[in-house]
Amino acid sequence: MTKRISPSLNLSDAGEVACAACGHGLCPNGEPWKPHAKLNERPLKEAAGAAYTNHPRIVLRQFVCPTCAALLDTEQALPEDPFLNDHVRI
Amino acid sequence: MDPITFSIIRHRLYRVIEEAVITLKHVSGSAITNEGHDLMVSLYRADGSLLMGGVGFLHHLTSAAEACKAIIRRFEGDIDEGDVFLTNCPYTAALHTSDIYLVAPIHFEGKLVAWSACFVHVYDIGAAVPGGFSPDSRDIFTEGFSSPGIKLVQKGEMRRDVMDTLLNMVRAPDMVALDLSSMIAANNVARERMGALVEKYGPEDVDSACGMLVDQSEQLFRERLAELPDGRWESRQYFDIEDETYRVLLAMTKEGDTLTFDFTGSSEQSQYGINCTYWASWGGFFAPLFPLLCHDITWNDGVLRPINMIAPEGTVVNCKRPAPVSLATVGAIQSVNNAACTCISKMLAASDKYAKEATAVWHGSHFAIFMFGQNQRGQEAIGIMTETFGGAGGARTFADGIDIGGEIPNPIGRIANVETTEATFPVRYLFRRATTDSGGPGCYRGGTGLEYAVTPHDAPDGGIHYVVSGKGTEFSMSEGLSGGHPGAPCHFNWVHNNEAAEEGRNVNAYATSLDAMTGEKQSISWGVFPLMGEDALYVRSDGGGGFGDPLAREPAALAKDVALGAVSEQVAADVYGVVLRNGVVDDAATEARRAAIREGRLSVEAAE
Repeated sequence: MTKRISPSLNLSDAGEVACAACGHGLCPNGEPWKPHAKLNERPLKEAAGAAYTNHPRIVLRQFVCPTCAALLDTEQALPEDPFLNDHVRI
Repeated sequence: MDPITFSIIRHRLYRVIEEAVITLKHVSGSAITNEGHDLMVSLYRADGSLLMGGVGFLHHLTSAAEACKAIIRRFEGDIDEGDVFLTNCPYTAALHTSDIYLVAPIHFEGKLVAWSACFVHVYDIGAAVPGGFSPDSRDIFTEGFSSPGIKLVQKGEMRRDVMDTLLNMVRAPDMVALDLSSMIAANNVARERMGALVEKYGPEDVDSACGMLVDQSEQLFRERLAELPDGRWESRQYFDIEDETYRVLLAMTKEGDTLTFDFTGSSEQSQYGINCTYWASWGGFFAPLFPLLCHDITWNDGVLRPINMIAPEGTVVNCKRPAPVSLATVGAIQSVNNAACTCISKMLAASDKYAKEATAVWHGSHFAIFMFGQNQRGQEAIGIMTETFGGAGGARTFADGIDIGGEIPNPIGRIANVETTEATFPVRYLFRRATTDSGGPGCYRGGTGLEYAVTPHDAPDGGIHYVVSGKGTEFSMSEGLSGGHPGAPCHFNWVHNNEAAEEGRNVNAYATSLDAMTGEKQSISWGVFPLMGEDALYVRSDGGGGFGDPLAREPAALAKDVALGAVSEQVAADVYGVVLRNGVVDDAATEARRAAIREGRLSVEAAE
């Protein structure tokens, strides 16, 4: 039986943070899961249309399930800044 | 106390606030107040703790409680029936000097039973720049009149020495006097209505009901927190001022029935007036907390009891005197608000029961543009362009954000009609409309922001000046949620069109977009600028954040978005993977496009 971590992530029966779409386990709950996802990183101004007149150094990070390509989370960041890390204690 | 009497008293308390707000708006002559609803009225218990929070700018509910308490401390033994106190010192309780608090004791048969408190952003406060937002101020001493507490009305009689001193220091004293009169009127109504309530039910029963109301809010809020999962969620807000980048970092931790907001790691305080004092930050995260976590709970001190805040001194979220703060309400407080919205929404989205209460960030920038100069009648005119209150809704877990749908910190914000602004300032609008592609893409997209352009018209001085405090031009401040994109950033252009006009090339009277306008377009974001002759000012506000994977958005919804002008065909194809032919979804091409985008996602290396 899975438990919800976010709209895109569940806690699997094995105690892992898992993709809600396909069940792919990323890592044990409690560890940061983003390093285990596929990362698409590109300038935000290229990611969403002409209205995005952001400075080119600002990136959009998309964390993707390595199995089914479901989009698990996004972040806006400067390249030198670390990933945001959320932990749900279930 | 029987539940019916309790319920009647609770509703009467809220109606006291409603009547006071109506009074404030009707007496005020200021567009920022009676059009934009940049105001707040709330009730407080005899000890100054929040009893019944009203609507308006929610940042102020808790800081006004500190204002009441500061007045109680300062004037102990000298608080009489009919008094009205003023405080606007940001290092005492206020958010910035322009937001003046008037707090008034409410007595019954000679005994203090409650307080009412209200604020408006006054017409002027005597800062270095008209209107109160002062980009060039480097300390609080150039940000206008400021008092930690002063008695403005004594036992029902105006203290002319105090009023005249304040008015002596501001531009347009008649308008500032009207601002203060509107707040005195609001407090008078609150006092009368509370007096009637206490007269009917008796001071003991009303006080008992008030205590029960606060305890009830605490109990209900703690029960809700206990239902939500324990955890720790992070958010990061950037904002840009000139060549400097600032970060507001938030780690929100929920354990059992308590919630801690930790801003450790946020940037050091700025030389610019975008800093928050402690009380501004304390109020800033309650703005999303009240509606998102307590939409069905009375907003009072009971909601505050399970909450802790860590805001390191000397940072943009807890600056030290005499740091400048005139732009706090469009500066770091918005980042506090946005970061809290994101963390609270992540927590809600982790719950099957409460996920529908989560939202991506609305109108993250909340920039402000003030105009000042001579109006078409040769009178001094100062005021805000109210379009910033139009905002843009963040997407929810079940629906799109509302286009030009407002902002979280002010549930009753609104924008003035074009005609109102054109009657107030010597300007003419070229266009004003929703901005295509400004809403953050997602399974549910963020609401669009708006764009507009104005040019001088019938101006005795040839034009007018304006102040731009628009951080959020480089960074998108409306964060997305659970895979949604952030909303598009705001943007400002000074359109230098006088040369084109002299050469007979000016077409701006007929322009319906920035691209169609003649004149060199200079990007601006911060400072004081002229708007003269045939020049124009173009403004684009930020869009709301999106929710979820754009590839999960129903293709039919994209067809509708494109038909309405909310999304372009290009973005529909490139970001959402939906291909349209003559406005109709090409199912095969869409399937292929989305498959290609997914394949592209998997073709990069893992993040580790």
